[in-house]
Amino acid sequence: MQVLTTDVVIVGGGAAGCYAALNLHRANVKTIIVCKGLVGKSGASIFAGNLVLGGRLLGNTEENARNTAEFLIKYHNQFLIDQHWARRCGQWIENVYYPELEEAGLYFRRDDAGNVVTSPGKIRSIAANVQGNSGVPFMDLRRKQIIRAKIPCLEETAVTALLCRADGSVGGVFALDSLRGEYIVVLARAVILATGYSDRLHARSTGTREMSGDGIAMAWRVGATLANLEMQWWHTNDAAYPPTWQRMQVYPNPMLGSEKSARMVNSLGNEFFNQQQDDPLAYGPYTVQLKALAKEVHAGRARYDGGYFAGFDHCDAAEVDAYTTYGKSFRQLGLRFPQDLVETAVTAHYRQGGIDVDTQTMASSVPGLYVAGGLGGHSNGLIGLATYDGRVVADGVLGGLDRLAPCELPQAQVGLEQRRLERLLCTRGSEGIAPTELKTRIRAMMWEKVGVEKDAASLRSALGDIETFRLDLLQRMGLTRTARAVNYEWLDAIDAVNMLDACELIIHSSLERKESRGPFMRRDFPDTDNAHWLAANIMRKTENGFRFEQRAYELPFFQPGFATKNNLEVAW
Amino acid sequence: MNATPVADGDARRLGQTENFDSLVARNTRLAVGDTVTVRVRRFAPEAGAQLQEFKVPYQRAMRVLDALNWIAEQAATDLAYRWFCGSKMCGTCAVRMNGREVLACWEAVEPEMTIEPLRNLPVLRDLVVDRAPFERKVASFEPWIERVAPYAGFPEPLSHKEMKSASKALDCIGCMSCYSACPVIGLGELTRFAGPAPLVQLGQTALDPRNDPAKVARALAQTDIFSCVSCYKCEEVCPAAIPIVTRVIEPLKARAAVLVPAMARHSNVLRRIVAARGRIDPGALVLGVQGLAALRNLPRIWRMLLRGKINPLRTVLGLKTAAAAAARRLLR
Repeated sequence: MQVLTTDVVIVGGGAAGCYAALNLHRANVKTIIVCKGLVGKSGASIFAGNLVLGGRLLGNTEENARNTAEFLIKYHNQFLIDQHWARRCGQWIENVYYPELEEAGLYFRRDDAGNVVTSPGKIRSIAANVQGNSGVPFMDLRRKQIIRAKIPCLEETAVTALLCRADGSVGGVFALDSLRGEYIVVLARAVILATGYSDRLHARSTGTREMSGDGIAMAWRVGATLANLEMQWWHTNDAAYPPTWQRMQVYPNPMLGSEKSARMVNSLGNEFFNQQQDDPLAYGPYTVQLKALAKEVHAGRARYDGGYFAGFDHCDAAEVDAYTTYGKSFRQLGLRFPQDLVETAVTAHYRQGGIDVDTQTMASSVPGLYVAGGLGGHSNGLIGLATYDGRVVADGVLGGLDRLAPCELPQAQVGLEQRRLERLLCTRGSEGIAPTELKTRIRAMMWEKVGVEKDAASLRSALGDIETFRLDLLQRMGLTRTARAVNYEWLDAIDAVNMLDACELIIHSSLERKESRGPFMRRDFPDTDNAHWLAANIMRKTENGFRFEQRAYELPFFQPGFATKNNLEVAW
Repeated sequence: MNATPVADGDARRLGQTENFDSLVARNTRLAVGDTVTVRVRRFAPEAGAQLQEFKVPYQRAMRVLDALNWIAEQAATDLAYRWFCGSKMCGTCAVRMNGREVLACWEAVEPEMTIEPLRNLPVLRDLVVDRAPFERKVASFEPWIERVAPYAGFPEPLSHKEMKSASKALDCIGCMSCYSACPVIGLGELTRFAGPAPLVQLGQTALDPRNDPAKVARALAQTDIFSCVSCYKCEEVCPAAIPIVTRVIEPLKARAAVLVPAMARHSNVLRRIVAARGRIDPGALVLGVQGLAALRNLPRIWRMLLRGKINPLRTVLGLKTAAAAAARRLLR
């Protein structure tokens, strides 16, 4: 076992983790990034299709600026957001984000005359190199900035536990280098968890292979408070086939250089969603789409797992191809572009909720543990927001570092974690099941009982299934072989334990929120209930379990303007 | 089965039509209910390599990665293979399918497939290769922008015309398919050629007009780029459809010829001769590249004379052909 020491250990190599590392490096703080996948290549950040313009950037009008803020608060977060944080974030995006990225070399797509190409409409956006692929050069730049700064990275290394000091504060991580099969302990003064917002907890999910709710599960184990964990976002138009493409979206956002965007039709061939016509303010119209789809599903003209279609058959191919990658999946399936539509389905996307943080510092409820990006329980989506979190957490850690001593090696915890992982590294008998089978069963159960629409009965039944999985399947889980190096089956086993814990917490949180709000749809509570639920759903760990609390949101800039209303009739 | 015509000017797809290997054909060859026979090259340091065969039920629009996922869920749960995004963005799932490099998440399955790991990189287990040699090479180029002039503020003056080649290189997802397909890399230590994938990564900043030419020169000096034989294998396999030779390697060679002329001696001499004479003159080329040292190898000179390869009189007199004016115009 290797023991490394640093000032701050960052778990996750996406937009938030990388930017936190770069900011701490600038402040001469030693950091180590531990990434389950590859820094800047795995995770959700590479999926950023385009980048939203805020404030008065690139000729944005006062109205554009206000629209962007309104979109973020209403459509993107259904008012479950700290509006003061949103304002600070907007100012930072306007003054720092774009200039800093461009100075570092990011190429914002120009036309031949040198104008930055934007999407027209009420809310404008730009692209890094090409729309649909902006996250790739964006994160590639981050990867190279990390190399340039010589920040050490442990890649393809899964953090399996947070390590605590005697007083319960977090001061290190225990990790498994999956290629070498070796344990690594990183001791630090503070830990930043930035493991991302998409998990592969549902049968269809935009979360990438390595995502399994690790951040939620590990933070909960050390006592971190959670917020709004039930608030799950969905993509409404991802490719229904092949299975591998479940996160291949027919992007509904406005296209660069065009007045049009993708449209969706039901099984009868009738259009039921077209962002530019139906709700131009819903720049990222995922929830508006989902509500439109729910009505189609109720009328029997679509299913959540397919039977409806999306595409660009109302556009010219040249118009779509000019600045976007949107034609690539159609063509690769051998379809005619843009005449043919592709069959689409719903996919679990961001989780709006996560670990409860102080939005001034990104500190969690556990001293020494900070959270940045999608894992945080305070906002949702957009690579710009995740990046801003990286900045705030760096400042937050800097402000608190003198109160956190270097962590001593916690021998007992390390021994326990080692024994836990060794127990998972066992072969299965004739009655045994493979970790992948347990993962598949969990995802199928979540899709069926904790999917787009749920109610108390389905959620209670889901809790029963979790119990069965724990008592039966988990006990019988075993591997084919016990080699330590490049043993993905071992990683799957570690994942499955985290998935069970994360799912259980999500189900409890879903039971607690007794309303429907945006993408969170309860059959038994169909109304959006601002009178009682315009509040964070806080889950606090107690000595004998947990308890829920509410924390109301301040509404300084935007207010919903109604007390209760059927969620499907609410625009956002 | 009907062949789809090749799109105009799409040289990389030539040959595929004759083989009924259009995208439509590849997507319609199999139907749900069919069986896909997959032979996977399994390798473990402790057990060596062997091919293992699996019968996989065809699923609608099935990709190579779907077949691997099925195997890892149903048949060989210890199969080691790398992937993250499943949608042509992370660039980690490239393998060889029936001898050609494909991105597993992107390529349709074939009725019979042999799946092997990428070449030219150490194999760790099954289909998982060690990316470290590639990453080290990319890092050694210091692939970032260093500005000569201070940054002008957002948005800085820049046009897509200036970024056209760099923009193509920015489509790179670092999957290393081209690195595996490159025959010059396949020669191992015989050359110091950086390989197509690292060159594309370098091209992202080296072909960016904002970058300091002195810095670009330092990176290019390490590439041995003139060992590229322009065979277009890299372009053929690139899942991101980057014109690697025409839009990255050739422009980089042109930059090298200007910024690091010593690297491009052969090319520069050849160009000078053709521009001056309207034809190639082997004698002048050998003298131009090797200098007077070339004269020491008398047996070789004798052989070349006998075979009519060189004509000292013509070399010395510097005779032009009628094509000289046209050559100068073309090479300008």
